Amino acid sequence: MNIAGQILIVCTCISLGGAASPLLAVELPKLDGDKPPAKDIVLREDAKCTSCHEETDAPQILSIGKTKHGTRADSRTPRCVDCHGESQAHVENAEKTQVRPKPDRSFSGQLISVPSDNRVEHYFGILGKKTDTPVSERNDACLACHRKDSNKIFWVGSTHQTRDVACTSCHQIHTAEDKVRDRRTQTEFCFNCHKDVRSQINRPSHHPVPEGKMACSDCHNVHGSAGPKLVKRDSVVETCYTCHMEKRGPFVHNHPPVNEDCSHCHNPHGTTAESMLKVRPPFLCHQCHTPHGGNTAQLANQSAPPTTVGRTGINYTQGRGCVNCHTQVHGSNNPANTHPNPQFNLR
Amino acid sequence: MNIAKQHHGLSRTLIGLAVLAALGPAQAEEGDDLAQYIKPESSVSIGLGGTSGDSQERALFGQYNGMRHQNGVLLLDVDYTDREETTGTWMILKGHNLGLSDRDLVFSQEKQGDWRYFAEYSQLSRYYPRTFNTGMLGVGTTTPTIVALPSQGSGAELDLKTQRERIGFGIEKWLAPSLQLEANFKTEDKTGSRLFGRGLNCSATANIVCSANSGALLLLPEPINSTTRQIEAKLNFSGEKFLLSGGYYGSFYNNAYGSLNPTVSGNLWQPNGAVLDTSVNPGAQVLGYMQQPMALPPDNQAHQLALSGNYSFTPKTRATFKYAYTHAKQNDNFAGMGLTGGPPGDDDLGGKVDTTLAQFGVTTRPADKLSLLTNVRYENREDKTPINFFSPTTGRTNTTSSLKKLNGKVEAGLQMPDNYRATLGVDYEIVNHGIPVSTYTPGGLTLLREETQEIGYRLELRRAVSETLTGAVSYITSRRDGSSWLNAIAGTPAVTDDVAAALASGRPVTPSMLMNRERDKVKLMADWSATDRLSLQFILEEGRDRYDVPDTGIAKGLQQTGNSFYSIDAVLNISEDWRLTGYWSQGNQATNVNHSLYLAQLETINTSIGIGLAGKPVSRFEVGGDISYMKDKNRYVQGVSAATTQPYDLPDVLYRLTSYKLFGKYALEKNADLRVDLIHQRAKLDEWTWGYAGVPFFVSDYTTVSMEPEQHVTFVGLSYIYKWQ
Repeated sequence: MNIAGQILIVCTCISLGGAASPLLAVELPKLDGDKPPAKDIVLREDAKCTSCHEETDAPQILSIGKTKHGTRADSRTPRCVDCHGESQAHVENAEKTQVRPKPDRSFSGQLISVPSDNRVEHYFGILGKKTDTPVSERNDACLACHRKDSNKIFWVGSTHQTRDVACTSCHQIHTAEDKVRDRRTQTEFCFNCHKDVRSQINRPSHHPVPEGKMACSDCHNVHGSAGPKLVKRDSVVETCYTCHMEKRGPFVHNHPPVNEDCSHCHNPHGTTAESMLKVRPPFLCHQCHTPHGGNTAQLANQSAPPTTVGRTGINYTQGRGCVNCHTQVHGSNNPANTHPNPQFNLR
Repeated sequence: MNIAKQHHGLSRTLIGLAVLAALGPAQAEEGDDLAQYIKPESSVSIGLGGTSGDSQERALFGQYNGMRHQNGVLLLDVDYTDREETTGTWMILKGHNLGLSDRDLVFSQEKQGDWRYFAEYSQLSRYYPRTFNTGMLGVGTTTPTIVALPSQGSGAELDLKTQRERIGFGIEKWLAPSLQLEANFKTEDKTGSRLFGRGLNCSATANIVCSANSGALLLLPEPINSTTRQIEAKLNFSGEKFLLSGGYYGSFYNNAYGSLNPTVSGNLWQPNGAVLDTSVNPGAQVLGYMQQPMALPPDNQAHQLALSGNYSFTPKTRATFKYAYTHAKQNDNFAGMGLTGGPPGDDDLGGKVDTTLAQFGVTTRPADKLSLLTNVRYENREDKTPINFFSPTTGRTNTTSSLKKLNGKVEAGLQMPDNYRATLGVDYEIVNHGIPVSTYTPGGLTLLREETQEIGYRLELRRAVSETLTGAVSYITSRRDGSSWLNAIAGTPAVTDDVAAALASGRPVTPSMLMNRERDKVKLMADWSATDRLSLQFILEEGRDRYDVPDTGIAKGLQQTGNSFYSIDAVLNISEDWRLTGYWSQGNQATNVNHSLYLAQLETINTSIGIGLAGKPVSRFEVGGDISYMKDKNRYVQGVSAATTQPYDLPDVLYRLTSYKLFGKYALEKNADLRVDLIHQRAKLDEWTWGYAGVPFFVSDYTTVSMEPEQHVTFVGLSYIYKWQ
């Protein structure tokens, strides 16, 4: 007989015994001197739980064995009760109610019955919220160990912490596939709240998030950071420089918004305008500059083409807009002392 | 500069061999039924995929997924996980998209709680979705040759592409139960070319280079051949009440290319179709400028030392802090970049920027129902680059860009009767840009400012109305103003508001981030579990920003922005085995920008709808599918002032994307699945950036840029998945 069969028999005996005396259900090893005590299946001292919650009852619970939490050789890994509490009322069910009292701490919602595909639930929230355990108490169970993680230094006081986001709002514990840690599926969790971004990433100019090559966590540390908007590094620009370091300079001729905040001009979540620009030139540039005053924005074929290349509305509206000439909009390191003045980021 | 580069691309064959070598010894294990639930599982997925259409029809679909130019692809994913139970040692190999040009491969080994190391390889290709028609030669080099076409559309088709290849390594080691070392290094090569260009115009009033009305535009792709390296090492020390982390982060950018040096061969075209003769003035003068070198991004580097941590004074009172000092420099040699004309004796800019960051925050819960939070953050970016003369205009210099930011936040959370919870917050920000260098005035600006201050208030009220309904309403308001205005036209002396208002004929121009601003925003949320099976989420958001500077008429620049957003999400658990999900959202973003001749009233209206179904019709069969639709409409209304008679409203720009995705997975055996994927995507982009109503926008060599306005793509993939433990 395999171990599962043995456990099944033990559980049956325990259940029968439990009907006779609630205490017997707890003191498993003392149940019957003729029967072997219940053995742990996955975690240390899990017999208390797995004597009932075995593979036929809730196989998904056992899947914690496939994870880092289920590595028993690591003495730091938790027991069931470390996260869920001793839960005596749940185990004993002294009132013998049809529905047992809940465990001391429940993290309900992270287990779904339908195996979710990477794509199908990409945009949809999947997490339930049915638990009476306060978020802070749920999170404390995780932080008891994970407070030592250096990327969670700024969790306390972070936007997510103060807005009652639970670790298990995003993380799934009893599975080897914690989808929020996979670039290809992470966004479905973030979009539970950040629904405006869900639309933006489908615009034609975007970072490769829909393609699964980037995820929110490539730019944001959702566990808290010293930067604004939970960006991973200390500022927006320093976060962008990790991939776009060529914009860092300093240059001979700087363009001040560039080293102040990339999001003055760009929406990194996606735009219909090229280059993830929040607004298409010339209108973007005209928010701060209004030179070349003799023309409105216009298109070729809206009027007769001009006779010269002049500073026409066409030339600063179509193509790359103002950047057709002011190409070095992120700054130029050209020291030239000839006209036209490189100060205007022309070359 | 010009460092020797070794390309470390992994061929598909090498990846395949590596995967086979790693998986060779692995075999499916027989035995304990329980093992299937508790032992780590590995899988390999191999299959073939095919896409419809050609590269033009896949331009939007294939921007990043490696399928732009491939009709058939190898689908290969590997997830090998092995845990040695007695020691808790893991060996993991994960590979995604190994048959495509956007592949990832990560190998790691770890003894849990003791040590870990990893090595990773990543490749990402990005195809610019538009196609050039051009006569240019040498695209992607620093010395392209411009050959004007005899007519538009008569050149060769050209697709621009950039490729990133990254290799990374990292280690983690617990030196003691409370002391951990983390270190990682990654190097990324970026190659290819991207949209770039240059242009020049001389008019009757601005004829610095050309002797008469003339000019030219060229689309010169920027050649890219650079390396980015990042190294980070830190020690983490944890105690009962604290965590302390200190370390170094270095980042280095090296560009193998210093400047772009185009050659124009022959004549160019003017917009009216007339020849611009480059052998005589003004064409020769235009030619002379167009062939001058253009600076490419210079090498630069930064070194940061940082110390951060948290401390629990009591279980209810905790603090966080960070101090970081960064030294960045840019001293790429001008001559080495192929650039001339710098100040005598200065071989490089000598750029130096030191940035200091200090942050401190405390959270406390003085009473069970009251929590308090305060946070202060100070950032001082000090640009120490020497000021020198860099200009054809006498007395004009380079500029520096120092910045100081002070942010403060106080927040109180209060649990109130009847399940109400209130959050009150005050935010404060001071941004000091420094007094601008008087010898360098940014072009086209009238007013600058040394400092802005902004104070904002937040109120959020949440209530659990019942066990199944939670609602929240929040309101944010903030006001920004700042220090005295500086006259940017006259060397930035401070001026009174009255004087400032009269500058530039009463219509001064100032950067939007320096303007006074009034911001108001309200948001409503509701979360309702209507039944055990149905849950709904509602969001309603409205916001408005108003900008203001002194003026006697209507100031130029940004005037006002507004946004609204509404959404409904629903999840219906039809049964234990079936789930239906759906969403609808509508967003509106409005921006008003004033210019000399128009008031642009821009509007982006976005509608998104999605519906998905997933389930298990029989125990061995999983199916799912979703349909998503997104429409983005951009309106460009230009209210025309009396100064012009050209009432141009630009046409709307419309982007529409509809995706149908289906999958089916059938369990052939306990450890083997067959999977089918079907994706059909329909995209439509109706816009005028590179052409309008059949007339292309062309540059002076008749290069044009185009894209299929409607793109329909179908992808079918069939994969065999084998799993073992």
